[in-house]
Amino acid sequence: MSHDPNSRSSALAEILSDGTTRVTISGNWSIESAVPNLIFKGDKVCLVPDNLGDFDSSLPAWLFQNFKNVRQIDISRLPPRLQSLYNLAEKSTIWESPTSPPGFIERFGVWGIESFSSWQRAMDHIGQTAVGLFRTLIGRGRVNWNDFALQLQTSGVDALPIVMLLGFLTGLIMAYVGLIQLRQVGATVYVANLVALAMTREMGALMTGIIACGRTSTSFASQLGSMNVSQESDALRALGISPVEYLAVPRILAVTLMVPLLSLFATFVGVFGGMIVACAGDLSIEQYLTQAIRAITFKSFLVGFIKSFAFAFIAAWAGCYRGYVAQRSALGVGNAATSAAVLGITLIVIADAIFAVIFNLYNF
Amino acid sequence: MMNSSILISRNLCVGYNDKAVMSDINFSLEAGKILAIVGPSGCGKSTLMRVLGGLDEPLSGECELLGIKVTEAQVRQREMTLRRSGFLFQGSALFSSLTLRENVEMPMREFLGVSNLQIRQLAEYKLALVGLAEAMDKLPSEVSGGMAKRAGIARAMALDPEIIFLDEPSAGLDPISSARLDELILKVRESFGTTIVLVSHEVPSILRTADFCVYLDSDTGTMGAYAPPKDFLQPGSHPKASAFFSQIKIS
Repeated sequence: MSHDPNSRSSALAEILSDGTTRVTISGNWSIESAVPNLIFKGDKVCLVPDNLGDFDSSLPAWLFQNFKNVRQIDISRLPPRLQSLYNLAEKSTIWESPTSPPGFIERFGVWGIESFSSWQRAMDHIGQTAVGLFRTLIGRGRVNWNDFALQLQTSGVDALPIVMLLGFLTGLIMAYVGLIQLRQVGATVYVANLVALAMTREMGALMTGIIACGRTSTSFASQLGSMNVSQESDALRALGISPVEYLAVPRILAVTLMVPLLSLFATFVGVFGGMIVACAGDLSIEQYLTQAIRAITFKSFLVGFIKSFAFAFIAAWAGCYRGYVAQRSALGVGNAATSAAVLGITLIVIADAIFAVIFNLYNF
Repeated sequence: MMNSSILISRNLCVGYNDKAVMSDINFSLEAGKILAIVGPSGCGKSTLMRVLGGLDEPLSGECELLGIKVTEAQVRQREMTLRRSGFLFQGSALFSSLTLRENVEMPMREFLGVSNLQIRQLAEYKLALVGLAEAMDKLPSEVSGGMAKRAGIARAMALDPEIIFLDEPSAGLDPISSARLDELILKVRESFGTTIVLVSHEVPSILRTADFCVYLDSDTGTMGAYAPPKDFLQPGSHPKASAFFSQIKIS
């Protein structure tokens, strides 16, 4: 029987006297054109071709979808190739995704469990890091020292230009804002005190910590997350080496050493940035420097140094932790990098607030 | 279309970083046939397959795929040819953020102008073909390597390609899964008339499925033989290929 090569796919269902549903299939079936919708009842179906033209996988896919749950199906009258394609598909229950979204209580419960488990993992990682650092200090740690040297370069020296630029601009902005306000009370000379004190105690460490989060934490999270994906962490575990000790400890050590130094640079260029604005306004260089040196005490210098040390540890730990718990996929690695930056910055700001309270309490 | 050459290699030379790995590769493959590329590890089997499939440029020579000289084709024409072929990569290369179903649906959504329901039907059918009907809403990270490989085959078959390239499809699979995969390859060829090019080390699998075999000789850096795989079992006809086949005991 000849068929029209341009005829579209069609299907017609009719119920026979014995209760069987006869489905007549005709036309050309292509994955690039629409297939017919079929509504029928009954669990006994007989498939009959009528002027059936060319077909690709769209026809067996349509048959599979419509008749997979039919108890008794007769495909003997279909062309052998179509029978083979239909039989090829494994007739198994389709994995159905839940249709109704979980309720409030269920979501709250899931959130609670996930939060608890997340805290647990974080505490576990902190513990492992502490043990790793201790073992390294007593010379018993298995640490990748090549990584340590590399990280001194990448998270320290390579970060110098951006740290200096942002430190300079921070000092410059503070001096500019201070100058406008202090000019109203005729105390422009104190702009040097303002910039020097703020940069030494606060902004030098804070800005460097935030740069470390954006630059180094995300990099650590991506590196360690990718190692999770390629099972490098598992390989270390299989060798009896703690991945935290081997991978995280050298990174944390390198960053904790380099960030306080970077913070020093940021402080000095910040004070210098403030000087440019102050001297362009009402102050001479001598006046500015005299006031600035008078304002910076050893105590405030120590405060900035302690903070930069803590912020460095937080930034490095956040990156290593998020990379360590990253899911084994490209998406997981991306999420790890994002959450490392968010976690690092949040913890740094919280730590800064705690430092402010503590130093105030002890009049430091 | 049948009995016409769908894949032709003329004096092909392949390699990387301008370093030739394999040269002087000449063969032509008819539509609906299964070709196996075999040879020792590191001899350039996967590199050759990538060039044959139009993914990489050869160092010299000419490759004709589906009637198009992919080595000379414009970018657009090459893309159109690639759409008519399917690829399974060694590591499956599934998109990790998509479920198995979404992985198979992805090329359909990009290139077929049909309804979501129809795309879903096609994806479910293709996944059912490879025995993954129950795992289609899982992420690649949640399934085994063998399942990921089967999902990769389902995605390669998404657009009903005329030719499928399979890079070590049975590597890492147990013998039963491997045999089932061979059966699937044969059924796909039989039912869809698809031409299949596969890279494999598994001699039993090659003997079960392949119509022709390209043996790459790593000593000379050239194509050692092009013949039906059973010919390689007879000593004398292709000495190196026969030696390579006989090294692997066939149960």
